[in-house]
Amino acid sequence: MDTLSLLAGGFADALTPQNLLFALVGCILGTILGLLPGIGSTAGMAILIPLTLSMDPTGAIIMLAAIFYGGAYGGTITSVLLNIPGEGESAITCLDGYQMTLKGRAGVALTTAGIGSFVGGTVATLGLVFAAQPLASLGLKIGPPEFFSLVLVGLALLVGLVGRSVMLGVISACIGLLIAMVGIDPVVGQPRFTFGSAHFFDGVSYVPVLVGLFGLGELLANAGGAAPQTRAPRLRELIPARTDLRRSAPAVGRGTVIGFFVGLVPGVTSAISSLLAYSTEKKVGRHRDELGTGAIEGVAAPETANNAHSNAAFIPLFTLGIPASPAIAVLLGAFLQNGLTPGPQLFVDAPDLVWAVIASLFVGNALLLLLNVPLVSLWTKILAIPYSVLTALIFAFIVLGSYAVSNSVVDVFVMIAFGVIGFVFRRVGLPLAPLVLTLILGPFIESALRESLQISQGDFSIFVTRPLSLVFLLVAVAVIVASVFSAGLKRKAGLPVDSEA
Amino acid sequence: MRRIPLAAGAVLTLALAAGCAQTGSTGDDSEYPSKPIELLVGYDAGGPTDVGARLLAEELEKKLDATITVVNRPGASSQIAYTALTSAEPDGYTMGAVTFPSAIITVIDESRGSDYDRDSFDPVALNVVDPTAVAVAADSDIDTPQDLVDAAKSGDLRAATTGVASNEHFALARLEEETGASIAPVHFADGATAAATAFLGGNTEILLANVSDMETLVTEKNAKIVGVMAAERSPFLPDVPTFEESGIDVEIASSRGLAFPAGTPEEITTTVSDAVGEILQDDAFRKRMEDQGLAPVYMDSADYAGYWDQTTRLFTDLLPLVNAER
Repeated sequence: MDTLSLLAGGFADALTPQNLLFALVGCILGTILGLLPGIGSTAGMAILIPLTLSMDPTGAIIMLAAIFYGGAYGGTITSVLLNIPGEGESAITCLDGYQMTLKGRAGVALTTAGIGSFVGGTVATLGLVFAAQPLASLGLKIGPPEFFSLVLVGLALLVGLVGRSVMLGVISACIGLLIAMVGIDPVVGQPRFTFGSAHFFDGVSYVPVLVGLFGLGELLANAGGAAPQTRAPRLRELIPARTDLRRSAPAVGRGTVIGFFVGLVPGVTSAISSLLAYSTEKKVGRHRDELGTGAIEGVAAPETANNAHSNAAFIPLFTLGIPASPAIAVLLGAFLQNGLTPGPQLFVDAPDLVWAVIASLFVGNALLLLLNVPLVSLWTKILAIPYSVLTALIFAFIVLGSYAVSNSVVDVFVMIAFGVIGFVFRRVGLPLAPLVLTLILGPFIESALRESLQISQGDFSIFVTRPLSLVFLLVAVAVIVASVFSAGLKRKAGLPVDSEA
Repeated sequence: MRRIPLAAGAVLTLALAAGCAQTGSTGDDSEYPSKPIELLVGYDAGGPTDVGARLLAEELEKKLDATITVVNRPGASSQIAYTALTSAEPDGYTMGAVTFPSAIITVIDESRGSDYDRDSFDPVALNVVDPTAVAVAADSDIDTPQDLVDAAKSGDLRAATTGVASNEHFALARLEEETGASIAPVHFADGATAAATAFLGGNTEILLANVSDMETLVTEKNAKIVGVMAAERSPFLPDVPTFEESGIDVEIASSRGLAFPAGTPEEITTTVSDAVGEILQDDAFRKRMEDQGLAPVYMDSADYAGYWDQTTRLFTDLLPLVNAER
């Protein structure tokens, strides 16, 4: 009961008109920042930190935390409406979200994403309130070998993502891995595939790649033919039907679990959570055959997962003092600026502040839901703009967004190059999903493998002698065997392996 | 550009410090600064280097009565930003945030093919020195730097670093050179968070990191810091001995400062250098830096240039050792 009364005290602080206003301003700012690809909530928070120094710490941290979630939601809006991933974490949402928009169901997609995010975020915050300490030590159990095996599970799920032709899927996945190889080798420290340019030493940044593949690729593909028939949905169409809710619920549940546990592992981005959630849906969802053609699960699962991830990432911050993601690191900076060192000690030193911030995580999630569901009708008005005008606007928007990633024109060229590649992909029928998966997972799997081998001094048995790693490896094998087996069964029964709804 | 009498500059800065705004320097081309100054930062907005640079820029704006725009050109351990800085007009309106060891390693490591070298920079002032420290698990038998060396000689120890050719990697090489103790590095290219996580999870026995990254770990009693690789004890860790105290002459630190492109008029360098010096005397500002775990240390342009040369020599000597492990 002690926790509850402390939390109640926190709510009393978070719900003062002043702090509510800070949370609201943060949510709105975050959403706007998230709309532009390239400028994420991390940069937005960083730029605002000096401003918050003159504010009272509780209000400042509440506002920064609200920007943090708002950003994730802004990225969803552009993914769904315009097929432009604002951030890596919403790239996979493009696949089904944009298809829903083409079917006139943009409102349902955005509302579902909002509800899913709320559920995921709230559950993860409950985890922070009631079980932060044991959960944090769970996160630490995921060392490099475990992480390697976990990412292998993700890659095994790829089998479900390849779509109609295994060959085309594998080609797409390999191209993604090749792009992921660019940059300074994580162990030897030598540049590879960089064309001698320092710009590629850190690898090809994936926002311009994704924006090019999805956004520009789509524009180019449409340029030759008839404009896509999008229309702004009417107000009544914004509300998900009962079937939508029934279908989303399991996806939201799985997304919450995946996002929450992956979020506990410091250093893992929420893009991984949303990819794993989508891939899992593709494997176990009831309507998995419809994924990729505008299925509601394809929006609900990744959007829930990335929000659950973002909120779970507060657990390592509060319990171990480890910033689990770049955005959380900025938030850590805000704590430090205000003379507070995050970690369990903070619960002793400044309990009022900690509980107010935790309460404001609930409030922030609720505010985003309240703010965004009615605003969905405003966002979807974008679709009423004539397509010829919208094309020009989108082009300006993606060029600007790519430039903003690192204030460099090189990223604009990267975006244009990948726009052409995206166009070719569409023409020859190559699926984009496997590429997104390997592009984002590639660098993680490489560094996890090599870190593991440095830890074991070159002994590969480290992956099977550590129990958790072994479990993940077995899951990966099971996924592959099951996929091959079920595809074989379907073929025997004469059922289509992939079908339209 | 007319020479600015130093006294006038000092009067100007004093007047500003006293709170008199609007000193009427607008529109006059001959006074530095007469237009906005760009501060290039080679890391993402929100990272520790960026936050530190923004804090300093805010105070410099007041001291110099100028607008300072922080421009992030992240990537390649600042190499992109250094390239932009050293190829900019040396007129005092493009300044760069410099971090060690990045400004040194990108030059001495030939595989990086950088277009600049030590002489492409005019050092302005150094404002932070953040020494490397060594941590072990809270229940470890290793208590002092000497214990560490003995343990490393008698058994296999692994240390988490923040990447190949990072400060920590050079620190291990220096320790090996000095004592003969060999510790296997595990490089975490994703940086300090990944390294600290793996260490806390028991994947390595040792964590090497900057003092500023260690602070939260010790406050939480998750780790024990055995020594700091500096000449003097860190103000944040007054109970932790230095390696020097144990008779092990190992000194490695990362640091932050400001630099202009080579060829910038000396008066301008001096003006900015002096302004940084005054800012670092301000207790409120020092407090804000300390809250971030950063020890404010001031070196003027001449001292900073000397430190730059000395650190370059140290790292150049260690490079073959670091490369041997690659």
